[in-house]
Amino acid sequence: MSIIEVKDLSFTYGVGTPFEKNAVNSLNLSINEGEVIGLIGHTGSGKSTFVQMLNGLIKPDSGQVLLNGSDIWAKPKEIRKIRFKVGMVFQYPEYQLFDQTVYADISFGPRNKGLSEEEIDKIVRKSAKFVGLSDKLLKQSPFDLSGGEKRRAAIAGVIAMDPDVLVLDEPTAGLDPLGRDLLLSQIMQYHRDRKNTIIVVSHSMEDVARIADRVMVMNKGKLEMFDTPKKVFSQAEKLESMGLRVPQITKIMLSLKEKGFEFSDGILTVEQAFSEIVSLLKKEGKV
Amino acid sequence: MSYISASGVKFSYDEEGQNVLNSVNLKVNKGEFVALLGHNGCGKSTMAKTLNALLIPKEGVVYVDGMDTSDEEVTYEIRRNVGLVLQNPDNQLVASIIEEDVAFGPENLGIEPEEIRRRVDNALKAVDMYEYRTHAPHKLSGGQKQRVAIAGIIAMEPSCIVFDEPTAMLDPNGREEVMRTIKTLKEKGITVVLITHYMDEAVLADRVVVMDKGEILTQGTPEEVFSQVHLMKKYSLDVPQATELAYKLIGVGLRFSKMPLNTDECISLLEEVLS
Repeated sequence: MSIIEVKDLSFTYGVGTPFEKNAVNSLNLSINEGEVIGLIGHTGSGKSTFVQMLNGLIKPDSGQVLLNGSDIWAKPKEIRKIRFKVGMVFQYPEYQLFDQTVYADISFGPRNKGLSEEEIDKIVRKSAKFVGLSDKLLKQSPFDLSGGEKRRAAIAGVIAMDPDVLVLDEPTAGLDPLGRDLLLSQIMQYHRDRKNTIIVVSHSMEDVARIADRVMVMNKGKLEMFDTPKKVFSQAEKLESMGLRVPQITKIMLSLKEKGFEFSDGILTVEQAFSEIVSLLKKEGKV
Repeated sequence: MSYISASGVKFSYDEEGQNVLNSVNLKVNKGEFVALLGHNGCGKSTMAKTLNALLIPKEGVVYVDGMDTSDEEVTYEIRRNVGLVLQNPDNQLVASIIEEDVAFGPENLGIEPEEIRRRVDNALKAVDMYEYRTHAPHKLSGGQKQRVAIAGIIAMEPSCIVFDEPTAMLDPNGREEVMRTIKTLKEKGITVVLITHYMDEAVLADRVVVMDKGEILTQGTPEEVFSQVHLMKKYSLDVPQATELAYKLIGVGLRFSKMPLNTDECISLLEEVLS
């Protein structure tokens, strides 16, 4: 079943000024419940504008966003409720930490939902656990944490609102390889437990290839592709023409295939590439 | 003689605190391109700040072109010679017109107006942003902004530029633009120190230095460093996917004439081995 349906969605910035820019142009798509979506596109392709329309931070000029079948702008006064259902983690969310302790910061969302202290406590601890923050860290000031911990604390604050759809804008930017792997695996663990829908906006093709069920490719405000990572990343030339890339390993295997070696399309990980090469070698009796 | 020479450098942010840098010895030759790798918190950004006297070592000494960074008499001379480019382009631009932004540094050095004009034009041409000189910075893409920030440094005519994760916030095109600019600077003889988490950027350097817990773990040419896949994995560092694939294949008995570091090398080496 689809949780989000987008119909003819458009938005233009600065209408009537010299800076008028059509950021999102008649988008149509639907996202299934429990899917992990990777959203890629170069800077200015309209990705951020699009995700901000999913929880009503930006009101579309025309078209609709349907959440569980109903238009999120049907009752404009109740748009705040949508923001609890579609949780948004912005780029560099650690700059948005504000409270005196990590605990207080994570509890801000559930407290605004009007829950009891007991329920809040349960949610805060659970959210912190999802992102791998220990109980000890909850008592500390968020400003004493390391960069990676701060980012996880900020994500916990959004998870604490228990959104049905979680949108993460560049969650791994600026993290080292270890921090990046850890954060991605925690997001995926959270996804497996909570079974909610996740949309990850990223410039890292490797990250998207690793976690997404389907990849959305945006270019000049339009949806250019929306398919499995395997199919999307088989089209290296088309992606490159839109200022994107395919993961290094995908590129290597695609080029070898063009040179006549029998490999599958859209190989996304070093492990897959390794096993394809080994089975080719075995077939030829070389190993 | 080395352009930068750091020996026995120790540093901590508070008096009693743990050392962020623990006896680091680092030499960078004139015109060399050095990539500095390591985890967040391994001390690489701290190290970078000791190279232009933003931080003074607690113990040990850093010489830049023969000048001791702890000597306040030469602080400005060192900062003019060693420019620093940071991660977020939005935090580094100060003026509302691009050429004014680039002129900010030389103006503060008290340089003659005609000379400033010449430097600003040259700097903008060097980063391929000359045609945008009268535009407003906030309208640019991330990669373009970062190139303007680099132009601002070039206009001070430094002999060395330290880049601290200059591409972390950029899209794939933006990253390529910035890396192309860095390569051009290196060809013009500017000494480059690049801090990055992207292995495909580190392979472009003459030398790779890997830091861990405030110390230098290993260093060498990109080929020497990334061939140690086992060591890199042990410290949870990445190697380029091309290198990792070759490493795994060597494990099942394949032989390569060299370790591939990028896509093209990997393709031609595999083609040889598989045909």
